[in-house]
Amino acid sequence: MNRAANILATKNCSDRADPLLSVRAIEKRFRTKSGDEVHALNSVSVDLADGEFVSVLGPSGCGKTTLLKILAGIVPPSDGTLLLRNAPIVGPQAGMGVVFQSSVLLPWWTVLENVLLPIRVLKRDLAQHREKARELLALVGLQGFESSYPGELSGGMQQRAAIVRGLIHDPGILLMDEPFGALDAMTRERMNVELQRIWMSTGKTVFFITHSVSEAVFLSDRVLVMSKRPGTLIDDIKVPFPRPRNVDLMSTAEFGDLTRHLRHALGGGEATHD
Amino acid sequence: MTKIATARPRRGISPAIAVLTSVGVGLLIWQSAVSLAEIPSYVLPAPKAVWAALIDGLARSPTERASFWFHLIDTLKATVSGFAIGAVLGVVFAACMAESRLVETAALPYVVGLQSLPKVAIAPLLVIWLGYGTESKIAMAAVLTLFPVLINALAGFRSSPRDRLELMIALKASRFQVFRFIRLPGALPMIFAGLNIGIVYAMLGTIVSEFTGAQRGMGVIMTQMQSVSDTAGVFAALVVLGCTGYVLISIMRLAQHYVVFWSESTLREIAQ
Repeated sequence: MNRAANILATKNCSDRADPLLSVRAIEKRFRTKSGDEVHALNSVSVDLADGEFVSVLGPSGCGKTTLLKILAGIVPPSDGTLLLRNAPIVGPQAGMGVVFQSSVLLPWWTVLENVLLPIRVLKRDLAQHREKARELLALVGLQGFESSYPGELSGGMQQRAAIVRGLIHDPGILLMDEPFGALDAMTRERMNVELQRIWMSTGKTVFFITHSVSEAVFLSDRVLVMSKRPGTLIDDIKVPFPRPRNVDLMSTAEFGDLTRHLRHALGGGEATHD
Repeated sequence: MTKIATARPRRGISPAIAVLTSVGVGLLIWQSAVSLAEIPSYVLPAPKAVWAALIDGLARSPTERASFWFHLIDTLKATVSGFAIGAVLGVVFAACMAESRLVETAALPYVVGLQSLPKVAIAPLLVIWLGYGTESKIAMAAVLTLFPVLINALAGFRSSPRDRLELMIALKASRFQVFRFIRLPGALPMIFAGLNIGIVYAMLGTIVSEFTGAQRGMGVIMTQMQSVSDTAGVFAALVVLGCTGYVLISIMRLAQHYVVFWSESTLREIAQ
């Protein structure tokens, strides 16, 4: 509880403080194989404060994933700059962890080996992080599955392992690209509650892509709305509900008002579900 | 309401009995064809004669030239060494081609050219270059192993899913790390598919090389038996080669289950 209050407090001050990550006028154009030029992102600017949970909502194909890949350094922007603590960054950063739509666990490694991949790649101390990996796996409810292979886990458990892999090298920012999109509705709801708990106990800044309005509202401090292609941010809404939130929140009138507002911002709610 | 099909206990004979019966009937037909149609033994020897030749060849001391063991050991040595060399070269070449466009472009005319060539046809050339010893046999086995391994490994290295590569990019992984952690393990199921073909080809290459010219080996004893019309002996040698091939393939399968136990195709095989 205290933790939650702290995070909220930090968030409120951070409106004035320097942002952790600044996205300044990001543009993305690319050519398809048939030679057509696609304008994917149009001058996207946003600031992420330390410890903030920010979601991006948008219709399919609006460039949300492209934006996340630009932040992760996986694809370069055509124009614009990224500032991490006011310093410009180019390419991938060890200060960021990524969780993809699918878990992308390597089937030839155990869960423990999989979550230690960033440590191996970044050449940090394996022995020291093994303990940390066990703790994080316990935090997401995967204790006892350290030596299991990904193929032996359910979809929800695989995504939990992927979240641990995103957190293991202690990045300041966790980028999540529709991490629960492939899960069934009930598992997804449970994972949302879990993610809130993980976020509150780790204090990370989370940049969360989704096309589910209720998921975005339930999890976020702020919800950004993206337009159809060329994607640009058309709305930025603060979510005032106190933490920790539980699933009952979703049936309150205030929650309904907010989701309704967001559906309108998205354009009549045509491209969303839940 | 649809009728639900339930699993019903399978009636009838067990597979083991079916196999034994099938082999028994086959041998019976063979034996009766030989005795009833009076086929000369140099055309088709009776099963009993083949059995006698087999026992004779196997019972002799491995130091005797008429012993199957004397020749089989040499054939096996060449097959296994040639297979090992061809497999390693195949994987290394494939890795170089997958990692470098330049290497791939440079190697392509040779790969395409050699692929359309019936490679056993170079056996006489190898004998000229390397002589009648084991070297020419090893070389032939290696050449035949190389191609299926190369082609499969190349496809394997290329087939890394995009999201795995993006995961590595986001971690700023070096090219070597991507190869070591993603491409190589990901290619192992395909590499094993190549190795399974390769081991059969390695033995084929060795035997062909022994036909062309060698001092020892199953191919040598078979040409000797052929020259004295010892057809039963040739049949017995074929039985020996068949069993050896079966053992080699089984070892490969075992290695595959041990190394790529996680691969979907392997899991399917285990489940069956």
